[in-house]
Amino acid sequence: MPGNAPFRHIGRPMPRTEDARLLAGGAAFVDDLPELPGTLHMACMRSPVAHGRIREIDTSGALGLPGVHAVLTGAELGDRIAPMVADRDKAGFRETRRDILPADTVRFVGDTIAVVLADDPYVAEDALSLIVADIEELEPVVAIDAALADGAVLVHPEIGDNIPFSIAQTTEGFEAAFAAAAAVVSDVFTSTRLAGVAMEPRGCVAQVDVGLDSLTLWSSTQVPHLLRLAIAELLDWPESRLRVIAPDVGGGFGPKAHVYPEEILCAYLARRHGRPVKWIGDRQDDFLTTTHARDSRFAVEMALSADGDILAVRNHVDVNIGAYACFPFGANAEAGGGAIYMPGAYRFAHYDFRARSVMTHTAPAGVYRGVAAPVAHFAFEGLLDRAARKLGLDPLALRRRNLLRPDEYPHVNAAGIRSDGGSHHECLERALAAIDHDGFRAAQPADRRIGGRLVGIGVACITEHTGQGASRYRTRGLLRVPGMEGATVRIESDGNVSVAISQSTQGQGHLTAFAQVVAESLGVDPEQITVSEGDTALSPFGSGTFASRGAVIAGGAAYRASQEVAAKIRRIAAHHLEVAEGDIELVEGHARLKGVRQMALSLREIAGIAHSLDPRALPEGEEYGLEARRFYDPPGVVLSNAVHAACVSIDTDTGQVRVERYVVAHDCGRIINPLIVAGQVHGGVAQGLGQALMEGVHYDETGQLLTTQLLDYIVPLAADVPDIALCHVETPSSDTLLGIKGAGEGGVIGAVPAIALAVNDALAGRGAMVSRLPLSPEYILSLMTMPAPGR
Amino acid sequence: MTDTPPDANAADRRLLRTTVNGIARQELVEPRMLLSDFLRRTLHLTGTHVGCAHGVCGCCTVLVDGATARACLTFAVQVQDREVQSVEGLGEDPIAAALRASFHECHALQCGYCTPGFLMAARQLLSETPEPDEETIRVALSGNICRCTGYVNIVRAVRHAADSLAAARDQQQGLSDAR
Repeated sequence: MPGNAPFRHIGRPMPRTEDARLLAGGAAFVDDLPELPGTLHMACMRSPVAHGRIREIDTSGALGLPGVHAVLTGAELGDRIAPMVADRDKAGFRETRRDILPADTVRFVGDTIAVVLADDPYVAEDALSLIVADIEELEPVVAIDAALADGAVLVHPEIGDNIPFSIAQTTEGFEAAFAAAAAVVSDVFTSTRLAGVAMEPRGCVAQVDVGLDSLTLWSSTQVPHLLRLAIAELLDWPESRLRVIAPDVGGGFGPKAHVYPEEILCAYLARRHGRPVKWIGDRQDDFLTTTHARDSRFAVEMALSADGDILAVRNHVDVNIGAYACFPFGANAEAGGGAIYMPGAYRFAHYDFRARSVMTHTAPAGVYRGVAAPVAHFAFEGLLDRAARKLGLDPLALRRRNLLRPDEYPHVNAAGIRSDGGSHHECLERALAAIDHDGFRAAQPADRRIGGRLVGIGVACITEHTGQGASRYRTRGLLRVPGMEGATVRIESDGNVSVAISQSTQGQGHLTAFAQVVAESLGVDPEQITVSEGDTALSPFGSGTFASRGAVIAGGAAYRASQEVAAKIRRIAAHHLEVAEGDIELVEGHARLKGVRQMALSLREIAGIAHSLDPRALPEGEEYGLEARRFYDPPGVVLSNAVHAACVSIDTDTGQVRVERYVVAHDCGRIINPLIVAGQVHGGVAQGLGQALMEGVHYDETGQLLTTQLLDYIVPLAADVPDIALCHVETPSSDTLLGIKGAGEGGVIGAVPAIALAVNDALAGRGAMVSRLPLSPEYILSLMTMPAPGR
Repeated sequence: MTDTPPDANAADRRLLRTTVNGIARQELVEPRMLLSDFLRRTLHLTGTHVGCAHGVCGCCTVLVDGATARACLTFAVQVQDREVQSVEGLGEDPIAAALRASFHECHALQCGYCTPGFLMAARQLLSETPEPDEETIRVALSGNICRCTGYVNIVRAVRHAADSLAAARDQQQGLSDAR
């Protein structure tokens, strides 16, 4: 890789060090950990109604079951656990509270109304069926419009309406720009609610040292440090006595970046009963209680000049966030994101947005891979297709005309987001070549029909907000998200390297990638570096793994800490080799005079010196040990970009869409490990394909969840996802350490619009365009039978 | 403390005799105990994961008498006098070894939660169809859900394992021809 010439380990497609134990069945997901002696198993009784007032919960039957140790209700708990509060009152935000175990009001099917502790998990489940809950059913609000209607039932009456967050912003001169337009296109784009469906359902184990009053909590979480912070606040327990460990975590994708009542309850109950408490959710419970996402509506207008320049965009976003604002992201993550993420790869000066979060009696909705961006780009690209048709322009020509050029960077977009670079045109041309766009068009009949199928191609150009630092979270009003990450790099006394990172990993290959970064600084093999994550006792404080921040921010912290250690190694080596520090190079586990093998000290020798285990002394004034702890907080946000191209075919009898070919040309700056980046893109595309074509959480009008199993909530299988071709374009960022940009979410962000555009193209003969997700067979059939609009 | 005797439900337990990963086992189990819980909780073989508990996701796939089965839809008592193989028991089986190597090389696993189930399903496929095409692989793996990889590298890894096993067979054939 020519651009990578100075690097030895960064940029290498190194297979992962974490694989061997996972392949041998030797992983340690939370339910795989050896059961602690005396463990009590917790089972949760969930509210069977969407909105109601608890009159009485009779637990006597459950308590009488042999093997049941205790049953707890909200009434008995009283105020011993503080409510979760994610947002404070401030401009645009209204504070709402979430009771960990509601005593009075239940707000969604899945709110916890009682918990059982039993010696055996089967018995704990049995006991749930013996609890009798008398709940007065109240009228629920389930959908956005009902929640916004005059006189709507209020989910949290204390805030006066169902809108805990709203924001509006208009660029100066917007109205004039809009009025000057030759053409305006508009539509309302909607997305059905999704579930993240990590293969490992949530779960946790709490153990208390009764004498020390200290807690260790193992949880399937993306945010160990923020979980510890929440436990400390809600249970009034000093953080110094709390240790949270995220062991192997079986997928996260955002939903596990929230703090959940079960984690707080396990910690509380372990302290109260002096025994370990374990809770493992099952899939049905996961659908009921783990955060959902993307229940949103984008009403969008685009104003263009006659020759196709985008002049102004209006974007009104409403997001159904369910019954509670989630900790730590609060009520605004999706709505705020829906506004901010829309200006991406394309140039436009004027933007008017209004975004609202709407509360309903459904499961809380929060961040899920891509957050609002997949739907924002679905809406924006959808408008571009409509504009091309209205103006009689070729859709690709319209895109080329409006895509930002490299010479326009650094660029501040209409939402106020600064970006230092973007390779949209290069990615576009590479994606078109890779999918053979011209060949496809040449072979595609004018009526799109080949046999019993309609064929189409879609090309979407997207950006991904990655590596957001503290300043971004403060600007967005997310005060419970720190933004920075930390890393400790330590050379042990025997010369081996230990690294501890403030994040947790859910499969992103952190242990390998960060070893590559540290290896780069220290001149040792990545295989010899032991990286640990997810343990608050071992790592510095940090935010956690979400929003494509791992490589950028934790990678930056690891780089900084390892550079500091490398500098000390050089000083020690230079002193004992009697050469200048600047002449020392770190290679093959040695510090040596550049190019001179004989003039070298091994890392083991230097570690011995640093730990006073060697006859040679440390240079005067040098501290013992060989360790550094550093944080990294990037300046703002760094935008990755990508172009996704999809070829689809539609079965004209069934309306089923099949993705036939798929190409991604993407740019995430400097790549640490291309294997891992490719894996992130592949997985994202598959999740985007799921949102585009099949996934959906459904409630009935009374707020009952209808999709409670993987039989009802359909996710893509191997036969649904095509092979995916990747083109890496590498434009290092000038804003981040090492030039890294994130890569975790672009796959899903690009796949949703690309597939939708391909379907638009396949339907072009009929005049229909898609505006709601998923593009289910029923929906596609309805579009195909729609009378063609008059022209 | 309302501790109950550990054998509160003992009255209804059955003696289960079965072979797991080549080792004969005798355990008292409740008739309702799932095979997945028997493996995970009784025998501490936690490589078999449970992703849905209703037979859809394939994380709990094991071999019963050599054929893939869902451990979450099988009661432990149903494997009376049968042979169960879990991911921990694949050991040096040449197909499994080739699959593990290919999964590693092709980056066919991320979080790893579904991986044991995929190894089981892929092993079954390659033992029956040594040189499957992509379509066959995709169909054969459609009983298993992965949420991380988009299946791209899993399919490539299975193909790669099939190729390396074929190459090994060819080499062996070449050697025996040479003799």
